Amino acid sequence: MTLAAILAPLLALCVVARGMGFLPALGVVTAIAILVDGLEPLQQVGAGLVLVFSIGPAWFLSYYQHDGVQERGGPAVPFLALGLMVVLLLASARSGSAAFPAGLCVVLAGLVAVTCRHAMVWQWAGLLTCINGIMLAGVVEKQIMVVGVTALAGCVIALLGGMCVHRVMPRIAVVRAPGRDGDKKKGKKHKSSQSETGSTGAPRPDYVPKPPLADAESEA
Amino acid sequence: MTIPVFLAALAFAWPLLGAAVVMSVSTPRSRDVAVWMAGIGCLLALAVFLFPATGAVATGWDDDPVQRAGRVMLACGLLLTVLESRDMADRFLRGLPHVSTALAGLACVAPDPVIGLGILEASLAYGVFVFSRPAGQARAGWALVRTGSVGIFLVLAGLLLPVGSPSAGLMMACGIVMLAGLTPFGQPWRAENDTFLFLPFAGAALLLAMRLRVHGGEAFDNALVAAGLASVWLTACAGRSDDGMRLFRTFPSALALIAVGAQADVAALLFLCGWCLAGGSRSGRSWAARALACFPPGAPFVGCLLLLSMMSDWSWIFTVLTVAGILCAVVRAVPAGGFGRDIWPDDVAGRMACSVLVLTGFLVPLAMMLGAF
Repeated sequence: MTLAAILAPLLALCVVARGMGFLPALGVVTAIAILVDGLEPLQQVGAGLVLVFSIGPAWFLSYYQHDGVQERGGPAVPFLALGLMVVLLLASARSGSAAFPAGLCVVLAGLVAVTCRHAMVWQWAGLLTCINGIMLAGVVEKQIMVVGVTALAGCVIALLGGMCVHRVMPRIAVVRAPGRDGDKKKGKKHKSSQSETGSTGAPRPDYVPKPPLADAESEA
Repeated sequence: MTIPVFLAALAFAWPLLGAAVVMSVSTPRSRDVAVWMAGIGCLLALAVFLFPATGAVATGWDDDPVQRAGRVMLACGLLLTVLESRDMADRFLRGLPHVSTALAGLACVAPDPVIGLGILEASLAYGVFVFSRPAGQARAGWALVRTGSVGIFLVLAGLLLPVGSPSAGLMMACGIVMLAGLTPFGQPWRAENDTFLFLPFAGAALLLAMRLRVHGGEAFDNALVAAGLASVWLTACAGRSDDGMRLFRTFPSALALIAVGAQADVAALLFLCGWCLAGGSRSGRSWAARALACFPPGAPFVGCLLLLSMMSDWSWIFTVLTVAGILCAVVRAVPAGGFGRDIWPDDVAGRMACSVLVLTGFLVPLAMMLGAF
């Protein structure tokens, strides 16, 4: 049992409590926990996939605005995950298993996040937490089939979740404000457009949201 | 390569070929082509059941007669789905029943249940991709992915725990219940997508549950029986309300899970037949409601008799609870005006389903007595 294996369930609890923000940290710690045991090809592949499935979605989400869904019963949810982890530890101790089931604790935390949270992004983070946990447990148990199926499930969840985010969440678009350095060079071309819009050099905010897509309108 | 091996390989590849052909032809011709492809697929599945490939067990592929018969039921469900459907302009939607049935069949026969779970995840991903393509369906698609993936992760987590431990059995049973879509625990399926994706998906989950029993142990069996009983009793309590009708749609899968838990695989096969041919959104029709309510003649009725005979050896308390639950559910879920008099439906699809249900109800006990199962 390593420090990384203990930290992984704690970070999974942070994902349950706070959401997607802790997922990259969980991914890094899980990858370290996988690599500490050895550097065989299975472990290297598992660690790489964990990093991709943890950091990729968080990076992708940085291009989108928060959906701002109100959560109910938030404070109790991490304690539910903690209670389930304790039950799992007691059950594994009773069945005679000496190893700390770090991966399965992470899976339980992810399952709690998926079932108890209502925001789509939070549920996505919960599913990716499950992927991290199963990958960790599969690599520790050296079950190649489990690692392969988890990799497939991770691809499916990352892609379908990304598609859903792209359709239901407004994207952050960078718009260059008129009247700045880049616009001064173009001079005359922009004069006509400025007079049309009525913005005579006044700075606009850099980040303006696009209008939400059809899904966001219909499903709001 | 011997003929049975070739037949087995062709039976697995045929629905995928059918999907490719149905997606490539023009819309007006697609339904006829789909019916032909699904019909040939049914015959191939039947041929594989009658002439199994010898030596398949030695190479790791599952060759259980119940599993082979289950794949025949999945193929019959595909034929019925195709017969019921109209011309569809969307190519992906047109090919979806074929793809999902092919992947469900492959998931059941895979040498390791873990691989079967992976194939089910792929099937779910394809189905959700097809269903969530129209505008406004993104969140509905996400709900399907979420619930199905939770079920798959629960089973995977159970498979990673020690063999026969209570926690492993419990987690795997919870996962199977979610994959089988048992109301109120399972997927938020709706009428338009359940026959295309859900029927083969849940059927494959039921067939996989029989293979997971070795790993799950006693806790797995008990948890499956408890979940099935809970669903049956909830159906009985909900009565004829909307919730009751929603629960009644998965009534055969609840009974099938009880049968799997009670180690009555042939009874589970008969309930699977009822599920594939009368379950889901078909439960609103009088002939389907009659079959689902385990009225004779039909596969679910015979399955009930087999299940109760097996359960009485297993546990008297569970037998009494099951009998009482089934009777209450049937009495309370039957439509207010009865089933009506149209025992023999007017449409071709309904007639085919009724014939298969009655034939299966007669032939499966006969085959059981002859030692086929």
